[in-house]
Amino acid sequence: MAGLAPSFGRGAMTNHFCDFKNADVIMAIGSNNAENHPVTMAWVQEARAKGAKYVVVDPRFTRSAALADIYAPLRSGTDIAFFGGLMKYIMDKDLWQKEYVENYTNATYLVNPEYAFDDATGLFSSWDDATAAYSQDNWTYQVAEEKPWNSGVDPKTGKPAATSYVTAPGVPKFPLPSSKVAKKDPTMQDPTCVWQLMKAHYARYTPELVSSVTGCPQDKLLEVYEVFAASGAPEKSGTILYAMGQTQHTYGSQNVRAMAVLQMLLGNIGVAGGGINALRGEANVQGSTDMGTLANTWPSYLSTPVASKHPDLSTYLSLETPGSGYKTNAPKWVVSLLKEFYGPYATAENDYAFDMMPKLNKTNHTHIGVFESIQEDIVKGMMCWGQNPAVGGPNSSFEREMLGKLDWLLAVDLWETETAQFWKAPGIDPASIQTEVYMLPAAGHYEKQGSISNSGRWIQWRWKAIDPPGEAKDDLEIMHELYKKLKALYDADGGPNAEQLTKLHWPYENAEGLADITLVAQGMNGYTVADGKLVSNFTKLAADGSTACGVWIYSGYFNNNDAPNDATKQPTGSRLKDDPSGLGLYPKWAFAWPVNRRVVYNRASADVAGKPWNAEKMLVSWDGAKWVNNDVPDFAFKVADPKDPTITLSWIPPNNTAFLMQSDGSAHLYGLNSMKEGPFPEHYEPFESPTKNLMNGGQANPMLTFGKSASVRPSDPKKYPIVCTTYRLTEHWQTGGMTRNIPWLVEAMPHMFVEISEELAKEKGIANKDRVRVFNDRGDIEMYAIVTPRFKPFLCDGKTVHQVGMPWHWGYASGGSTGAIANDITPNVGDANTSIPEYKAFLVNVEKV
Amino acid sequence: MAENAILYDSSKCSACKGCQVQCKQWNMMPSSLGMNTSEFTGSYQSMPDLNGDTRLMIEFREEEKNNGIEWAFSRRSCFHCTDPACMAVCPVGAYSKLEDGTVKLDKDKCIGCKYCNGACPFEIPKYREKFGVSNKCTLCDDRTGMGREPACVQTCPAAALTYGPRDSMLTAGKARIAQLKTEGYGNAELYGETEMGGMHVLHVAKYGLEAHGLVRGAQTPPMVQLLDLIKPLTGLGIVAVAGALGISFLTGIGYKRDELAAEVSPAPDAEKEEVSS
Repeated sequence: MAGLAPSFGRGAMTNHFCDFKNADVIMAIGSNNAENHPVTMAWVQEARAKGAKYVVVDPRFTRSAALADIYAPLRSGTDIAFFGGLMKYIMDKDLWQKEYVENYTNATYLVNPEYAFDDATGLFSSWDDATAAYSQDNWTYQVAEEKPWNSGVDPKTGKPAATSYVTAPGVPKFPLPSSKVAKKDPTMQDPTCVWQLMKAHYARYTPELVSSVTGCPQDKLLEVYEVFAASGAPEKSGTILYAMGQTQHTYGSQNVRAMAVLQMLLGNIGVAGGGINALRGEANVQGSTDMGTLANTWPSYLSTPVASKHPDLSTYLSLETPGSGYKTNAPKWVVSLLKEFYGPYATAENDYAFDMMPKLNKTNHTHIGVFESIQEDIVKGMMCWGQNPAVGGPNSSFEREMLGKLDWLLAVDLWETETAQFWKAPGIDPASIQTEVYMLPAAGHYEKQGSISNSGRWIQWRWKAIDPPGEAKDDLEIMHELYKKLKALYDADGGPNAEQLTKLHWPYENAEGLADITLVAQGMNGYTVADGKLVSNFTKLAADGSTACGVWIYSGYFNNNDAPNDATKQPTGSRLKDDPSGLGLYPKWAFAWPVNRRVVYNRASADVAGKPWNAEKMLVSWDGAKWVNNDVPDFAFKVADPKDPTITLSWIPPNNTAFLMQSDGSAHLYGLNSMKEGPFPEHYEPFESPTKNLMNGGQANPMLTFGKSASVRPSDPKKYPIVCTTYRLTEHWQTGGMTRNIPWLVEAMPHMFVEISEELAKEKGIANKDRVRVFNDRGDIEMYAIVTPRFKPFLCDGKTVHQVGMPWHWGYASGGSTGAIANDITPNVGDANTSIPEYKAFLVNVEKV
Repeated sequence: MAENAILYDSSKCSACKGCQVQCKQWNMMPSSLGMNTSEFTGSYQSMPDLNGDTRLMIEFREEEKNNGIEWAFSRRSCFHCTDPACMAVCPVGAYSKLEDGTVKLDKDKCIGCKYCNGACPFEIPKYREKFGVSNKCTLCDDRTGMGREPACVQTCPAAALTYGPRDSMLTAGKARIAQLKTEGYGNAELYGETEMGGMHVLHVAKYGLEAHGLVRGAQTPPMVQLLDLIKPLTGLGIVAVAGALGISFLTGIGYKRDELAAEVSPAPDAEKEEVSS
């Protein structure tokens, strides 16, 4: 997600599952979609039946590879080299989609002449040795003009400008940002223009070098390049399916950025059958991130304030609102969010209770950071709510050790997971553990109702089928009880920052005194404060405190005022299978955020004049007088009557603004200051790597996180020369808490194993079904070996590099199957932008037991 | 009633085992409730073979060829033969053929003599210890009788399993083979059109029959054909037939699936086992 938002404006899958059938080429890279998202194969096969090519790039020959038209092997952690090579191939052979790149991306924009990349050091300009970080001062555009914020009249229409809302009473006063318009060279010849910089940057990524880095034989590499680059033809579309194989690296966000840049070159964003499709690892993980469960985001991807940077609401709004683009509306979303959080307490006078909201400080509050904070005695108690870090966390034996330092631990889960009984883990003496552990049994997904948001942004309401067993309760009920208890305690006893909780707005209890999920849904959709009427969508939100909305991007999903407590009558509960376009958009099946748009950035599916690149895949189309659309347009396309939005006052003719969430309206080939490690994705080796970086003089990502933590215990490549990766299997799910307790699934895949190539097995004297040890300085785990030709050694930098891989579904707590914890040997180092752990590439050794 | 069939397309199957689990769920077949009781097969295959509680399983066979890996998936379950050997040897008439081609085993009539286990050229029926009866796929006649698809077909996420009139399934299967050949799978074959008088489960074998462990030229064992002749002549009671023929069957048939495969395939059993299980 952290790679998508800087590129296009939103951190979400651009298309959706049913749309895969519209693709001419589908590349799964960093995703084993046939195994981990089996249902995706329905649409992949539909596309193939129409002649599409399905390409699988993976270190190992997977069940996806078995179904692919082309399989190409790739050493774990070398995706940017692979993509960089593909970009060079496309640019060298002139296969990029010219009208698209010239008009819809920032290719023509001029960059600060001081920006540079030094391949001798592997560093971009503005590196500061003292802070070991980039100041990013010269990663900016050359500015042609600075336009002040327009609080008055729009010169074009003679009416108040859209941005004039800031003058209304009640809207927080903040320094209004200006809009910096970049200098451009439409000929793309200026050496400082993005296009020229990009060509120069990827000149090093020759097929020879890429092959040597990735271990992918050159003929395979070029075969994939040729097939995928063909989607650069305007009428063709190619899609990329990715998952944790891209993200779980110390440069995971840049892997995603690399895919974004590639898809921009080929004109594959915003079109049916195109896009960058993140296949999320859990049914509702898209929903979880939409809700702001990550430390650095509020709901709807608004930034969590940072104490030192955002001392008050005025500063926050000033810094987080751009001077142009649709995000100039951000203050409406922020104030409406604060009104939902703090209700009547939030007023213009008290900055809408901005002070009540938690702020970030210097401490890294991501998963790895929390465990470091336990070690530093900062974190004393923990609620593990549907999470099992004792198995799922990186360097999990360290994380189990840290659980033992806590004063208390609350585990909320369907089963007694390894985390809930960490004190029984092998190697831990229960007598030495002082942590008080509470376990609350939770309801499973058929035992509660609510919405889940799938990878394709469809918010689908799910109804309750049966009551949870025994004392198990649904999550909302648990949260509600917890809230009431804590509020009563703070009301009675006070305490530090008691008002954060006592002033909280919590209108989620119904007349029967029970927590009601439809009331939460109404708060998420948004309503006018005065009368409680649901707003039709986020265009009705205001920054003056008159509206409240918990999750602005969802607004419209629960907007039927005729039945506000009946999800079946809300857009999210709609289940009609109409598909008038035949493109699989299914506009009346659930609700896709934003505003039921199925393919985001769909303006880019048509040329600058508004003519679809491919008439058969028409999403939006300008017929010369008006827009004719199959999908909800993702651009300013009409002026509607403010009183009745169904009445169109006038149509807005086509222009070249295809990415309205970006302040400059364009997709970003060049990422400006959005990423910590540089404006262009550059190849670095994983934190633990068996080879030196052949692409530049740096070794690992200079901005990776937690590399210096003592707990990491890095693997010395001399001692541990074998690359290892982790993955999931179709038969099990995540840490196995659920699936290792279902006998049918235990039987389907009963044992933990490591997959080893025949070549490595021979070297090590290992036979199929032998018990083996896989180990490094973090841990030493034992399991069965599967010796298979599906893993092959790589030839990197002229040397043989072995790779092995293992699933991470096993642990010591279970009803039916126990086994070694793969994460005992994964490193707790993180990505530069998100701190996601590098589960996918690290070093080990393997021996027969 | 027209004959129906399942078409299994191994070139679309992702071996997710959804069908395997769904079969157990719909038919209420258990798996072990014990801790770590399952054997490790050395591959992604769940169990070495079908068993009394398992009517359907996905098999995995992998082989390295010049042009890459052939990872052949197979759906192992009853084929519902037009000339079912199991039915021919059943001494108590527990087997019957339904109009749509389903070969049905009535567990209430089954006496657990296991003749069908040995007579089937594919060794599909398995003895269910706890209930003292044999067990095999019913083609979900409890569902198809009500116009629904078999449970395995309904659960398949990628349309690798389809169900319908046998004629249409044959047409679709043949078209798929032709398509696979144009895609470079020269050995692709359709299995079940004529074997055993024609089957009601057809297989698109992407890499050819042997690669998928399918028995080429499967036939009713000679002993079974003989029995078909003598059974109506004996005039003896059920028990007598069972008693008289039991020993000869259990020892005499010796017509094992793998041995048959070995006759037509150059790969010796042992080697095959190592690859597949």
